[in-house]
Amino acid sequence: MPREATSLADILADARVWKLKDASAAPARPVWSTGRSSLDTRLPGGGWPTASLIEVLLDDIGLGEVQLFLPALVACQRQIGEPWIIWIAPPYEPYAPALLQQGISLERLLIVRPDSAMEALWAAEQALSSGVCAAVFLWLKGTDDRWLRRLKLAAEAGGALGVLFRPERHRYESSPASLRLLLSRGEQEMPCVELIKVQGGRPGPVEARDV
Amino acid sequence: MRSRAAKSLTADLFAPAAAPAARLPRRTLPAQATPQPRRASRQLWYAVVFPELAGPEGEAALTRLCLHAQNFTSFVSIEPPNALLLEIRGSIKLFGSLEKLHVLIDTRWRSLGLKAQSATLPATLAALWSARAGQCVHEEAAASLASLLAPLPLSVCAWEEEPLQTLRAMGVRHLGELQRLPRAGLAKRLQPKLLTDLDIALGRQGAPRRAFVPRERFREKRDLEIEVEQVAYLEQAVEPLIGRCADFLRARQAGVQRLKLHLKHRDRPATQLFLGLASITGERARLLDVVVQKLGRVTLDSPVRALELISGTLRALSADSLDAFAGLAGQGGRDSAPQLVERLRARLGEAAVYGVCPIAEHRPEAAWRRVRELKLKSSRLALPPPLTGDMPRPIWLLAEPQPLSSPQLIEGPERIESGWWDGKGVARDYYVARSDSGERLWVFQERRSRRWYLHGVFA
Repeated sequence: MPREATSLADILADARVWKLKDASAAPARPVWSTGRSSLDTRLPGGGWPTASLIEVLLDDIGLGEVQLFLPALVACQRQIGEPWIIWIAPPYEPYAPALLQQGISLERLLIVRPDSAMEALWAAEQALSSGVCAAVFLWLKGTDDRWLRRLKLAAEAGGALGVLFRPERHRYESSPASLRLLLSRGEQEMPCVELIKVQGGRPGPVEARDV
Repeated sequence: MRSRAAKSLTADLFAPAAAPAARLPRRTLPAQATPQPRRASRQLWYAVVFPELAGPEGEAALTRLCLHAQNFTSFVSIEPPNALLLEIRGSIKLFGSLEKLHVLIDTRWRSLGLKAQSATLPATLAALWSARAGQCVHEEAAASLASLLAPLPLSVCAWEEEPLQTLRAMGVRHLGELQRLPRAGLAKRLQPKLLTDLDIALGRQGAPRRAFVPRERFREKRDLEIEVEQVAYLEQAVEPLIGRCADFLRARQAGVQRLKLHLKHRDRPATQLFLGLASITGERARLLDVVVQKLGRVTLDSPVRALELISGTLRALSADSLDAFAGLAGQGGRDSAPQLVERLRARLGEAAVYGVCPIAEHRPEAAWRRVRELKLKSSRLALPPPLTGDMPRPIWLLAEPQPLSSPQLIEGPERIESGWWDGKGVARDYYVARSDSGERLWVFQERRSRRWYLHGVFA
């Protein structure tokens, strides 16, 4: 029996209609605060979304890109039962004293150094979908759309905070990531953040200073 | 009663050396001596000493000889450096008599081409000492232990040189003379171990021995009906082998950390796959997971005719290696942490997956290291207290400091001067700097050469 939409309420009741307001008000998964109120207010739910893929585009290393996620890493290590953090193919050696200084427990930090980009993607997919990781960070030079989609599905299955760091040239490629950020040089310690894509939010540059 | 015993003890000090040995034990035994355990007398110990064995090779040889000894009794204990102890009370009935049994065992050593001295007595050390002295006594009765041991020289006891020297200075050359000395005085002059040994040898005290357990491993071969050229079929073929290995391990309440899989070919040597597990396990699913990951990376040069699975050393499962519920800890979890780690290691290699830990050291490059042995069990996480007040440290550290030309400094300096004692001394002033493109860098100036280097990146 074909159904006809008669009123706005009927249309909204349809499960296929995605409601922006609801999405931002009550996210299905927990979020982790970014530690910057100006950024938190721009993200749906008020923090980094878990169980999804976040893509960070940047050209230089050392803009404070890891710093952006450190409050979330510390918070999730303190709150989740099995809080493994996995870093796949980081650009340099993660420096243990610095991580300790930031309050990260090194007992639950795993570094993975695959030989190739394909292996890195495979490892990321395994880690994201395993369900034992609180956060999976992946550094890549380039990848195709199909793999990103697999990573996103894996993150949704495992519930982890999945972050992918890529060079800026991928900005104009389509990406299934639910959140895309562009980092550039900032005045202070923190980099300039521009939201390119926010599912359930509004894209645009983020104020440099906390409100 | 007690005062009389004490009096007789003091009198002992001046007792003539030629006192009859058989009477001695009762007189030198003080009232508070350990009562003789009843069960100890039920045991009968056959000791064998191989004078030619010595050093680490000797110990390895002893392990092999244990397997021979286990033909005669289930209880064999290794007595380093060159002896074995066999408990043979239970075997006498099976072999007829003690006489027949010890001749059989002695013949076994001779057939192996070994020089062996043996003795059988109801106390462990008595048998061992008699064997070492070369006395060929084989007796079931316990009554005459003291007189049997009395003529033996002290060197059979394998004690350290220092107490032996003390005893020699006291004029004690044989065990009989030692038995005659008063216990309290001996305990003061010598180590308590000597008195304990003497009690054990005389059967007054039991001495539990650890039975030798031979190393077990799973080893099974499976011939394939047809020669297999595709890895996908191999995965199916290896499944029953893994299942049997898991059953084998479960029956023994044991787990393994290593496995070896041989793929046998018709006309070339077998392909060997070494599989490592992140923690000791006997679980079928985890073993299979690792094997399948490893097989997925294999390129077959020629068809496979047979598979052989060999386990590493069996390890006891502890309570925390029974990770039946570990997988539930994660949110929508399908794995446990060890499973994830070993899957990553099976495909990427052992060295590609590691942790880091800090080292208390001033030199930045020596203040951390990689950790291969991960703490995988969901124990309570020790959260580090956040450090404050220190100079900042960068998230990324360069493997080697890179030369740099006059950076734009923001913060500093922090002087680090250390390590002059091991030849890798450093004398540096560290600064936080900013590069032209806006990166925050950790740089230092070497104090001797005044040159600038880049050492880390604040990310």
